[in-house]
Amino acid sequence: MAEIGRLTGTRNGLGFATPVALLRAAFVLTALMVWQVLAVSGLFYRDVIPSLEKIWTALIALVSHGDFYWHLGVTFQEIAVGLVIGALSGIAAGLILGGNRFIAAVFEPYLYYLGPTPKIIFFPVMIMWFGVDSGSKIAMGALSCFFPITLNVAAGMRQIDPVLIRVGRSFRAGPWQMAMKIYLPAMRHPIVNGLRLGLGVALIGTLLAETKLSNRGIGFLVIQAYNNFDMPRLYAVLLVLFVLAIGVNALVARFGRLDEIKYK
Amino acid sequence: MATVSTSNRLASVPTTEPAILVVDDLVMRFVTADGGVTALDHVSFGVKPGEFLAVIGPSGCGKSTLFNIVGGLLGGYAGAVTVGGETISGPHASIGMVFQEESTFPWRNVLDNVGFPLEISGVPKRERIERARHFISMVGLDGFEKRYPSELSGGMRQRVSMARTLASEPKILLMDEPFAALDEQTRLLLGDKVLQIQQQLEQTTLLITHNITEAVQLADRILVMTYRPGRVKRIVDINLPRPRTSEIVSSEPFGRYVAQIWNDLREEASRGLSDAETRPLRTHDKPQGQP
Repeated sequence: MAEIGRLTGTRNGLGFATPVALLRAAFVLTALMVWQVLAVSGLFYRDVIPSLEKIWTALIALVSHGDFYWHLGVTFQEIAVGLVIGALSGIAAGLILGGNRFIAAVFEPYLYYLGPTPKIIFFPVMIMWFGVDSGSKIAMGALSCFFPITLNVAAGMRQIDPVLIRVGRSFRAGPWQMAMKIYLPAMRHPIVNGLRLGLGVALIGTLLAETKLSNRGIGFLVIQAYNNFDMPRLYAVLLVLFVLAIGVNALVARFGRLDEIKYK
Repeated sequence: MATVSTSNRLASVPTTEPAILVVDDLVMRFVTADGGVTALDHVSFGVKPGEFLAVIGPSGCGKSTLFNIVGGLLGGYAGAVTVGGETISGPHASIGMVFQEESTFPWRNVLDNVGFPLEISGVPKRERIERARHFISMVGLDGFEKRYPSELSGGMRQRVSMARTLASEPKILLMDEPFAALDEQTRLLLGDKVLQIQQQLEQTTLLITHNITEAVQLADRILVMTYRPGRVKRIVDINLPRPRTSEIVSSEPFGRYVAQIWNDLREEASRGLSDAETRPLRTHDKPQGQP
């Protein structure tokens, strides 16, 4: 833990007044100042760089309107359902690949090549299969997170210390007991890692799909603001998205750290 | 295979008391890249109830193969292993294994590690905790119940492994160089612990080791194996008084036994050293099937 504190520079007992924290704050302030100077300079076409007051007003308008929370809820639900579907199928596929060398030899190359392919190219197919509503967005999220989760789980299963499996066998654990009490807990790190990566790409997949074709969700709000050339609102939505993404990341990181303290 | 038909082959078991564990004419071959290796060549011996038998041999004599076969984790051999007259065909409830490698579950604390075999056999939680605590205390780890393996020393983790195996209350304790990774002082002190537990439980024990001091310190009898192919070279009775402690290592008879075993072993160990073909049997070498 001490090392994490040193790296982030925020936990050395001086509170937030460390050199790193101060420099970070200075960077943000400078960026805001430059932004404001550019905004009032009139060098850009109307509202391409709106002033900070305009963005602030748009932000207040955005978050004080009930519609925004409805859109937020839609996106959240799509990501959550997509992640659950992708994670369950990914873990199942990963266990099969990790447990059977033959199947892995046949199928894993496909996963390695498909994995890095931008999933957005499948979006038209998803629309045809699952409709223009939430279905296609959920499918995009699930499709995106399936690959990293599958590959992580498969690799994790191969890295299990074989002696732990021998211990289980020597105590005559049944297949279900082996799975629940040895394989899954022994794979907790790769599974959490896979879910972390999966959550990231599910977010991207879902939001990207919403910006392409939809009438709801945060991605839709972004593209709608753009189409109306309502730049202050566009930036306000982006700001909210940043904050949410940072929050989700912090939560996942915290989950990961708790895991470390407790087990290793 | 009936024990009756096998017992006359066991010339090495000196008394009339029937052995609880009988290893009868084991032959095990492995296929390797350059042909085959005979790991065990007609190995037979018995372990009587309450007896502590140590199997000692140079690296590459098939000790670990023997461990895995008796533990029921390895098949494809000829011959038989019987426990109380029953031929084993897989891990047997009467045999508890302690592994050489680090084998505690890092995600379980000491209490849950030791309670693992009880969990597997469906012992209710309350009784499980009680019994686990009993064996934790037996290996001297009171107060460490809630600690995770990463918070313990290597010697303590091996004691957790031992307590975990003892918690399954096996009739026969089967150990494969459980202290090989530990330093000499820890090894001697843990040896004391093993002696104490073995005397307290009258635990029938089969210890696989390459450490002569450890074997003489702990065992009632020592079976010396030859270098590849692994055969029974000699069985030595260790007539040292019980109860023993590690203090015995400085006694004169102890030294004589060590010298005697080393005499037997030196020839085998040097054969292993000069063997140009020496390479340890790898775990992925396949059993050749019934030879």
